[in-house]
Amino acid sequence: MNQSHPKPREQWGTRFGLIMAMAANAVGIGNFLRFPVQCANNGGGAFMIPYFVAFILLGIPLLWIEWGIGRFGGKYGHGTTPGMFHYLWKHPLAKYVGAIGLMIPFALVIYYNYIVSWTLAFSVFSFTGKYSSIMSFQGMADFLAAYQGKVSNNYFPSIATAFLFFCITHFFMMWIVSHGVSKGIERLAKIAMPFIIVFGIILVVRVLFLGTPDPKFPANNIVNGLGFIWNPDFSMLRQSNVWLAATGQIFFTLSVGFGAIHTYASYMKPKDDVVLSGLATGATNEFCEVILGGSIAIPVTVAFFGLAQTQAIAAGGAFDLGFFAMPIIFQKMAFGNVFGTIWFFLLFLAGITSSVSMAQPMMSFLQEEFKMTRKTAAWILGTLTFFFTLPVIFFLKYGFLNELDFWIGTFALVVFAIIEVILFIWVFGEANAWKEINAGADIRLPKFVLPVLKYVTLAYLAILMVFWVLQNGWDVVTMRGVLPADSPYIWFARFMLIGIGVCMVFLVRIAWQKRHIIQQRIPE
Amino acid sequence: MKTSGWIFLILSWAFIIGLMIASFAIVLRKK
Repeated sequence: MNQSHPKPREQWGTRFGLIMAMAANAVGIGNFLRFPVQCANNGGGAFMIPYFVAFILLGIPLLWIEWGIGRFGGKYGHGTTPGMFHYLWKHPLAKYVGAIGLMIPFALVIYYNYIVSWTLAFSVFSFTGKYSSIMSFQGMADFLAAYQGKVSNNYFPSIATAFLFFCITHFFMMWIVSHGVSKGIERLAKIAMPFIIVFGIILVVRVLFLGTPDPKFPANNIVNGLGFIWNPDFSMLRQSNVWLAATGQIFFTLSVGFGAIHTYASYMKPKDDVVLSGLATGATNEFCEVILGGSIAIPVTVAFFGLAQTQAIAAGGAFDLGFFAMPIIFQKMAFGNVFGTIWFFLLFLAGITSSVSMAQPMMSFLQEEFKMTRKTAAWILGTLTFFFTLPVIFFLKYGFLNELDFWIGTFALVVFAIIEVILFIWVFGEANAWKEINAGADIRLPKFVLPVLKYVTLAYLAILMVFWVLQNGWDVVTMRGVLPADSPYIWFARFMLIGIGVCMVFLVRIAWQKRHIIQQRIPE
Repeated sequence: MKTSGWIFLILSWAFIIGLMIASFAIVLRKK
């Protein structure tokens, strides 16, 4: 028996577990904070038109493509895109292009998991009443700034508390992935997803029954809050920004372009269904985003702060809404501590299940390409991500995290999605791709989906890319508006990303040099 | 909230819930 013959790979325990894990990967903090802010800022109900257009023409097709690539790679014992691309495009460069699919989730997890740790901390603070005396927006802003170590005040003299919560969150994430796909990730998803949905429903019901919290201000009520999100402003549809915002939101919310779906899908059996499971995952994510996410934060903010202030809060972004406005609102509600704890713990569950999915590609790579045990891979990955997160924690006030987020969370995702569509549909071939997606499918895809995958999705991505570069790219590249004092940290963030990218390429090279026997064939 | 707002809310919710029920119904049937 050849020593280098690939060992049997892990597999999902059940189909339901796979769908829950995929949905938990997609459902993140953004479903509850980013979506309502984007919706409120971009035309309200009218935003849902470009949003659903993007969901159908971009989101669902990309889900099928990524699931298809992932399951295809899994057949050859590869859980990450270097190995997958190697079989899609029989070219020496393919595996190095695939290194982008390692770099993205690795870079994402080093800053995303820190944000997740804030939600855990705020859940505990809400439970213990740590911020119960703060009743002003500025007071909560000062509280969060001190927690993050941006300033020192009575709330937090140092960043130690934030660091402690990060360590807890980080350890928990690595503990989950160290237990493997079925016993770690799947088990977490099966517990977390029902809790996310139940907590979300509890909060929605509570919000919808708030009515008019202060009779002195009758206009500040829940129905007007829903109106703030849903009343359509059709004039906004003429603005390209709105279409871009909706497309971007679909991209982030479905977690496409991350490299994580590929890894999860690689643990499927070769004839497991991709089409229906992908659709069920997308629908579950939309339920959490539009129905739960759209009915909590913004309506309750309008009910307590009024339309004008909610507009200002929404313009300030998702964190202003989630970490400044929501805690104050909970203080004003009966059993506010309980609802505050539920709110932040819901965000924590949504976040940690996504963090785990971002950590898994590198775990898979180390285990499969370097033949490491799961425990060794977890220790190495845990140590690396821990040290890479340190600059994110300590240089937060200099815009370090925002810089990483632009290049990875915005730019790299779209680039990677374009590459995977080209490789899967155009290089691997539309007939092969179609066959791959439909293999074992529980529902038959209509033929018109193929030209959508081939032309429309790709064109959509290309347009998105061009507009983003034109609108934001140059300003970010030239660091317009960056304070001179922050500039070295921004450059540090960029060099760190380049360093991560180079390391990934180097690791792929070593892995291929030492690599095990790989079957040099492409399925008929 | 305007009538058009309610229409958008109801249609969006109906689309998502419909998609979710339909997909999970087939998933459970094919189990």
